[in-house]
Amino acid sequence: MGANLIPLEDICAYHHVEINFIQSLEDFGLIHTTVKKQSRCLPVDELTKLEQYLRLAQDLEINLEGIHAVSHLLNQVQQMHEEITALQNELNYYKQLNQHH
Amino acid sequence: MDYIDYYKILDLKKDATTEDIKKAYRKLARKHHPDLNPNNEEANKKFQQINEANEVLSDPEKRKKYDKYGKDWQHADQLDAQQQQQRQYQSQSGGYGGNSYSGGFGGDDFSDFFSSMFGGGGRSSRNSPFKGQDYNADLQLNLLDVYSTHKQTLTVNGKQVRITIPAGVENGQKIKLPGYGAPGVNNGPPGDLYIKFNITDNPKFKRKGNDIYIQEEIDVYTAILGGEKIVETLNGKVKLKVPEGTQPDATLRLKGKGFPFYKKENQFGDLYIKWQVKLPTNLNVEQKELFEKLSKF
Repeated sequence: MGANLIPLEDICAYHHVEINFIQSLEDFGLIHTTVKKQSRCLPVDELTKLEQYLRLAQDLEINLEGIHAVSHLLNQVQQMHEEITALQNELNYYKQLNQHH
Repeated sequence: MDYIDYYKILDLKKDATTEDIKKAYRKLARKHHPDLNPNNEEANKKFQQINEANEVLSDPEKRKKYDKYGKDWQHADQLDAQQQQQRQYQSQSGGYGGNSYSGGFGGDDFSDFFSSMFGGGGRSSRNSPFKGQDYNADLQLNLLDVYSTHKQTLTVNGKQVRITIPAGVENGQKIKLPGYGAPGVNNGPPGDLYIKFNITDNPKFKRKGNDIYIQEEIDVYTAILGGEKIVETLNGKVKLKVPEGTQPDATLRLKGKGFPFYKKENQFGDLYIKWQVKLPTNLNVEQKELFEKLSKF
């Protein structure tokens, strides 16, 4: 198995989660998996996302529809944070110009 | 070490039922869960308090002890006797179960008050693995530091971490280094390290997105008659032609001479040069006469 792929069986055993849950996350377009050597695997860079969804499901009992909505909103929050940072930097540019004059 | 009112934290009355506790906990946990409040230290702290309150109140044994000795927890003798029994209980039952949260938060999640009353216990006695705590660090850089990709060694929690800082990083931008946080608990994965870049302003080069703005002085004669000017850019000096009749505040754009795009090789913003026309002062008699002549044309 490639170093960047984790078999879903291993993830399920480690996190005590049903494979159906991971498949449903994929059906919702929240993660993507791939098949290698007849085994379905998760790319390593998807693991953080998957673990976050697992926590939302296990800790807060949020269902898949809820996770889908939460994920969408969190992405929006992240985009807004980036936008705020860019705007703050732009504002800083104009403040510097003002000081200069 | 202060007494902690777990009922107050969960906004409950002393006679709250198990169902009340569960409901109050779920309600507050949904509000303050760190996954729903990324990079919010306050929410994280609040969540740990809620978690601790739930750990105690949702466990009948702990709740009984807390209700009996809570406010008088400093009466060591009584507490010691209780702790003795508690330890006995733990060793028989294999630790507390409870509904404690398991994701993304490191080991030291319980207060000194909790530890004093119930021992180290709590979540750390559980056997399920969970991810280590995420670390946050700020890195101070100047504008020229982030003009090109470079490596830097940081010391985070006593550990040396060598990171690559990509060219074009913005002020306030955060990058994540997976696995550089606190070690996981019970063989869980380590947390992540988040580095926030604080980029100090440069007195000459002003950045707006990927474009750079500078101001250059030219004398009135160059502005009127035209000429050449050597200008310092981010990657060296360039000789520029100043066209005759250049007006004050006229701006010249040098394409691709600005700041590199983040993680986009060979893509650069533009450099804008605003000409500041410097008028002569302290003119001598001859110069004044020449200007007077000019003014009559």
